[in-house]
Amino acid sequence: MQISSSLLENAVNEFARLPGIGKKTALRLVLHLIKQNPEEVQRFSETIDKMKKEIAFCTVCHNISDSAVCNICSNPSRKKETICVVENIRDVIAIESTQQFSGLYHVLGGIISPLDGVGPDQLNIETLVNRVQQGSIHEIIFALSPNIQGDTTIYYIQKKLQPYNVVITTIARGISFGGELEYADELTLGRSLQNRMPVEKYVSH
Amino acid sequence: MLILDNISLFQFRNYHSGSFSFSKNIIGFCGKNGSGKTNLLDAIYYLCFTKSYFNKPDAQNTSHGKTGFRIEGNLKKSGTPYKVVCVVRENGKKEFSVDGEIYTKFAAHIGRFPCVMIAPDDVAIITEASDERRKFIDYTISQLDLDYLHNLINYNKLLQQRNSLLKQAAEQGKMDETLFQVISAQLIQNGNLIFKKRQEFCRDFIPMIIALYNEIAKSNEKLSINYISNLESNTFENILKENRTKDLALQRTTKGVHRDDLEFKIDGGSFKSLASQGQRKSLLFALKLAEYETLLQHKGFPPLMLLDDIFEKLDEDRMHNLLSRVCVRNQGQIFITDTHCDRLNEALKRLDVQYQLFNL
Ligand SMILES: Nc1ncnc2c1ncn2[C@@H]1O[C@H](COP(=O)(O)OP(=O)(O)OP(=O)(O)O)[C@@H](O)[C@H]1O
Ligand SMILES: [Mg+2]
Ligand SMILES: [Zn+2]
Repeated sequence: MQISSSLLENAVNEFARLPGIGKKTALRLVLHLIKQNPEEVQRFSETIDKMKKEIAFCTVCHNISDSAVCNICSNPSRKKETICVVENIRDVIAIESTQQFSGLYHVLGGIISPLDGVGPDQLNIETLVNRVQQGSIHEIIFALSPNIQGDTTIYYIQKKLQPYNVVITTIARGISFGGELEYADELTLGRSLQNRMPVEKYVSH
Repeated sequence: MLILDNISLFQFRNYHSGSFSFSKNIIGFCGKNGSGKTNLLDAIYYLCFTKSYFNKPDAQNTSHGKTGFRIEGNLKKSGTPYKVVCVVRENGKKEFSVDGEIYTKFAAHIGRFPCVMIAPDDVAIITEASDERRKFIDYTISQLDLDYLHNLINYNKLLQQRNSLLKQAAEQGKMDETLFQVISAQLIQNGNLIFKKRQEFCRDFIPMIIALYNEIAKSNEKLSINYISNLESNTFENILKENRTKDLALQRTTKGVHRDDLEFKIDGGSFKSLASQGQRKSLLFALKLAEYETLLQHKGFPPLMLLDDIFEKLDEDRMHNLLSRVCVRNQGQIFITDTHCDRLNEALKRLDVQYQLFNL
């Protein structure tokens, strides 16, 4: 791509670094911004800047948050005795969109895969065990991607939770083999939350 | 009945762009060395297996100096048409679809359009290390049983995870014991299913190979074949326990179904060291024909048969028997290559069946 202005070129390159954005799309976005009022563009860049500077993670569930405790954890109408364990923040957003779940979350920050250098220590597993240890949790629902690493993660945490009196379930596999959670449509995801099953019965293949 | 009606290639190896229509069950491709015969067969194989028979990465499948390629085939299964398309995009990303529906997992395609290839280097199945024989067995069973393929994919993944933990243990002097137990248990579960399936499969498959060998080789030596596995004499669980120290020292899982083998013996001695060239060829064809027959039995229709350069391997009578078994008796479609157009033409003429010959 031949670009006559290096200011334009730099902006295009920055956009093109975002996931899913190619050079052509980046150019379209930048040309769009050029046409906007300066104030609008300023608001755009300030919003992003502020978001990055001020964003925090909930100290309880590790969800993205504006303060030390996120608005899901601090919401009095949510059921505090059920925790849905997910891989990342995108999964929280996906499950919230189903409006089928009124409990709390726990964001692991990934799944166990020694091959990729991700061991239990790199994930928010200890804080989950601590939450259960405090005693008020009745059920842990795993909503992890239905692949072999997801299973490893479930079995591992299950072992860690063995000493405690808590029901452990996993969402039903309405999702196709190897499918990733974030691609599941809301309906399938909502249904698999309702039809969750105990982990002992669940065999992956 | 499974029939490939046509295939179009774009930037696939030496085919910048090309299209071939097939109206007969027997199709010959002839042409001098390097004219693209093997590449064309491999393109057909690719449509059935979502990858090259020769394990070539897609970068090498793309015509030199180009980015991306496309293979499109129109197949018919019991009269129903299917359009199978593989596109490798400029960025190397592969899309594989049937009738416009893109697969999220390529594994789901395996076995829908069964196919058997015989290529010049396949004698490696007999002469080389055990992974060649496992691959042969696995590709056959996978075309019959998708669960098996999933178990296999899982097993291999878990094996890598376990080995990675063993390596970390050696490097860092510590290991998460709980995680090691969890991954080992998952490995055991998948390993047991694979063992059971292979054992069950071999019960019918081995006698079939032996019968075919005797028919092809027409010799008096006694061929025997055994499925060998660590899991025969002990449970996988015990095996892993007993080998723990060794696994830790070597930083890999030393025992399991990833070490399984098929053992070939002739008159009680090792086939590999005793058999003549001709006997090896006979066994190779017996193996491939057993695969063909098994797929035929399970699917109810014959798989596509791809024969690359086999005139160098078989004498005229054996060749004739093979072709008549596949094309005449089973009405299957067969693609066959040769460097000599005349020789191929003569062999196909003898069969007394309609055929098409392409000079590449
Ligand atoms: N990625 C590629 N791009 C362009 N050409 C390629 C590519 N890969 C292989 N070729 C060419 O394809 C030719 C080999 O084709 P192929 O193996 O199909 O020949 P063949 O007709 O089977 O020959 P033989 O009779 O020797 O077996 C070679 O000339 C090789 O250079
Ligand atoms: Mg060739
Ligand atoms: Zn929270």
